[in-house]
Amino acid sequence: MKLGLYLHFPYCISKCPYCDFNSYQLEKDNQITSYIAALYQEITAYSQKLEKSNIKTIYLGGGTPTILSGTKICNILEFCKENFKVDKDAEITIEANPGTLDGKKIRLLIESGINRLSLGAQSFNNLFLKKLGRIHNTQEIIDSYYLAREAGFNNINIDIMFALPDQTIEDLQATLKKTVSLKPDHLSLYNLTIKPGTEYYKEYKRGKLKLPTEDEEFDMYNWAINYLEENGFEHYEIANFARPHKRSKHNLIYWQNKPYLGIGAGAYSFIRGYRYMNCEDPARYIKEVMSGKLPIDNGEKLSLRKRMIETIILGLRTKDGVSYKKFKTRFKIKLNDIFSKQINKLVNLRLLQKDNYKIKLTRKGIFLANTVFREFVD
Amino acid sequence: MLKDYHYNIENIRNFSIIAHIDHGKSTIADRLLEYTGTISEREKREQILDDMDLERERGITIKSKAVRLYYHSKDGKEYILNLIDTPGHVDFSYEVSRSLAACEGALLIVDASQGVQAQTIANINLALKSNLKIIPVINKIDLTTANPDRVAKELQNISEIKEEEVILASAKEGIGTSDILEAIVNKIPPPKGSSKLPLRALIFDSLYNSYKGTIVYVKVVDGIIKPGMFIQTMSNNIKYEVAEIGIFRPKMQPIKELNAGEVGYIIAGFKNIKDTHVGDTIIDASNPSRESLPGYKKVTPLVFCSIYPVDNKDYENLKAALDKLKLNDSSLFSEAETSEALGFGFRCGFLGLLHMEIIQERLEREYDINLIATTPSVMYQVTKKDGETKKISNPASFPPKNEIVKIEEPYVKVNIITPGKCIGGIMDLVKERRGGFKNMEYIDEKILRLDYHLPLNEIILDFYDKLKSISSGYASLDYELIGYQPSELAKVDILVNHQLVDALSFIIHKDKAYTRARKIVEKLKEIIPRQMYEVPLQATIEGTIIARETIKALKKDVLAKCYGGDITRKRKLLEKQKAGKKRMKKVGKVEIPQEAFLGILKI
Repeated sequence: MKLGLYLHFPYCISKCPYCDFNSYQLEKDNQITSYIAALYQEITAYSQKLEKSNIKTIYLGGGTPTILSGTKICNILEFCKENFKVDKDAEITIEANPGTLDGKKIRLLIESGINRLSLGAQSFNNLFLKKLGRIHNTQEIIDSYYLAREAGFNNINIDIMFALPDQTIEDLQATLKKTVSLKPDHLSLYNLTIKPGTEYYKEYKRGKLKLPTEDEEFDMYNWAINYLEENGFEHYEIANFARPHKRSKHNLIYWQNKPYLGIGAGAYSFIRGYRYMNCEDPARYIKEVMSGKLPIDNGEKLSLRKRMIETIILGLRTKDGVSYKKFKTRFKIKLNDIFSKQINKLVNLRLLQKDNYKIKLTRKGIFLANTVFREFVD
Repeated sequence: MLKDYHYNIENIRNFSIIAHIDHGKSTIADRLLEYTGTISEREKREQILDDMDLERERGITIKSKAVRLYYHSKDGKEYILNLIDTPGHVDFSYEVSRSLAACEGALLIVDASQGVQAQTIANINLALKSNLKIIPVINKIDLTTANPDRVAKELQNISEIKEEEVILASAKEGIGTSDILEAIVNKIPPPKGSSKLPLRALIFDSLYNSYKGTIVYVKVVDGIIKPGMFIQTMSNNIKYEVAEIGIFRPKMQPIKELNAGEVGYIIAGFKNIKDTHVGDTIIDASNPSRESLPGYKKVTPLVFCSIYPVDNKDYENLKAALDKLKLNDSSLFSEAETSEALGFGFRCGFLGLLHMEIIQERLEREYDINLIATTPSVMYQVTKKDGETKKISNPASFPPKNEIVKIEEPYVKVNIITPGKCIGGIMDLVKERRGGFKNMEYIDEKILRLDYHLPLNEIILDFYDKLKSISSGYASLDYELIGYQPSELAKVDILVNHQLVDALSFIIHKDKAYTRARKIVEKLKEIIPRQMYEVPLQATIEGTIIARETIKALKKDVLAKCYGGDITRKRKLLEKQKAGKKRMKKVGKVEIPQEAFLGILKI
């Protein structure tokens, strides 16, 4: 079996008010020490079960993985390589907050074998960075970016958010122009969503957040796609843009609905048709792992139909769409035998396009992807 | 039951408890039941006489009940006291009047802090109409805000009640219970009838029980009723054999006979409570009395709305549920109807808005049916050019304007009791609702009584809520129908994507049509989600557009990011959204959420 490996680091220097990820403000340094011990324990527990598997990609995500020292990150990756069969040319990505990087740390990351850096920039407007609760300013993003380039990173992603409270299309344009001028290899572009449990959600409920309207959001996203495509980026997934040959291999595993193992608090795994999640609370995670258990909180064995539906939804998020041949190989039945009614309806609505090999979203369909996906779910 | 009980009409007292909502009627009843040992401490629940959940939640009594109490008075004699419980809301005033007709006296309960309210006056008037002896009781004297002297003066100002007659009580603390019982025995006269005369029994309520069938609550005015007898009602010639008679203690307890003056129940194989109208007279089929008891009238619904199941599959369930509710509620009216927009449903008639809300809530809660209810309407009287006069409650069945000579709408006399300082706001409200001032009088220095005539249509929606908010909750309201008056009314239709949504049509005074139409299309624009294409919303009168809005086409509907475990969560979210869309009503190609139909009620 070929696997992607995800490692979760739930700590941050401070929690951003819009963030609903499984992340927590770091209180004491020894939290990290015991968390890493638990990671080692969980990795060990899986190493025998998965000894025949090949790890194609590794992704260190968070939270803020770069809150750890360079040495600790090196050791963790070393430990992974000792316990799993990691491909020599594996794509190894780390998410980095520009406020947590310096030259020394970046060099250590390179030495540890990490070959892809994902910078959480979010905006190139200091005012918005402040409102988003980010711990860095635009200059620090730029500095981190060039430090990484100088250290030898030849695959860098920049994360940008849009549809921020009070944001205008002009602001997004300025941010994206600045981003493109840095010549990153990859760009992730997300619209802000207000999630329950966040500080933003509370403000939103109190009517204190002035979010762009649906039309304004459409204009922003539409402009961004055109602009990035004109500048040599391939819009290969709803929220992701890449220079040629620089698509994120790890994320493609998700979008192709292929198996992956998640290690750490709240991490998801999808192995042998089971999708399950580790317990989210780091303290509980550590306790479970250290008492010799797998820290699984909940999960389910997906039925064949649900796997088909998820494969379609994920596949349609990508430019490659859903291939008839791959679908047939995987599920032993033709896509059109099961979903022809939905496909034809969506083709008629000009939300889907089909050719001899695949179905994929039209430009209009990209903007209305959920409307498309709802047709496929039960 | 007392072993040495012998029937003696002189020792019977039949009484009701009348009160404004929340003045403590049910708690007083509880104390009387406890004091006389009718229920033991163990059997006690809060508010014993209210046995529906809804009744307890809303603090009102929907169906009246009758309980027999045995009381050993200070004069050494044993008395039978029949407590006939009455509904406490203006919607049920006919039921109240029939319950009162079965009594010779009434306890009038007034809250020591709130004082006289609109229904206090309405209740006094009803009691006087039935020639009842009123025993005034000021309840809740334990409250720190209690002011029994002021309340007693108010009572004296609005009626013949004298301050000295008033009994001070606190049902909560058990104060005054024995004074009340003594007053019942000493002040309320015994019933007047005779067991020797041919049978005449007044039906004051009925109830359907799936084991026993229809149970009819009666007061025997004259004659005797026994199991095995054949009876019939005055308004219906069908004969029934009496299977069981009994009394409520408060549970049903069969007895051998009911004599003149006594109150109890009859089970006689009535198929349906429709055969046993409240207010009707039961007579002996073999020796029929010629003279019916006074006051019987067929109850007519005042407020109407259409009720549709959200899911068409629930139609049969809704039908069965309405039939069941009708078994116990002869004032509920329903007939099948079809709407182009909503499919198969029912046109229903209610005694008032509260009655409507209770029924809707029971359908949703007890029968678990998701409903769409249209804007409530009243019964209009339309005279056509061909001379025909029709009563129409459903805007969808209004004839075209060119066929109409005259439209009349029902008017009510509204009686408002309010602190004087709120009068400005109330006058504005009444004026805005096309009301006409009739009379004003002071109950005391600070409390006013106002009489207005208003179209019923103007008060059925939110008049009461508005009145409450203007008066910070102090004003109270009572109304009665006074007849029909001609009116300049228009029917407004709502078109979604150029298609008429019949369920959204409404009748309104022509001066108000534009403003309301404007608000409705604006609200619909908010509520109806964007569709794949632009959707125009129009309000029209006789084909002329009076308001218009456009729902823009859906442009963006996409989840930003989706990695790892997100997909299962997102699939589930999409499934939930899809299920939500299935619950929407499709009009043409447009999906309209249930809230669209409910939301416009609140405008």
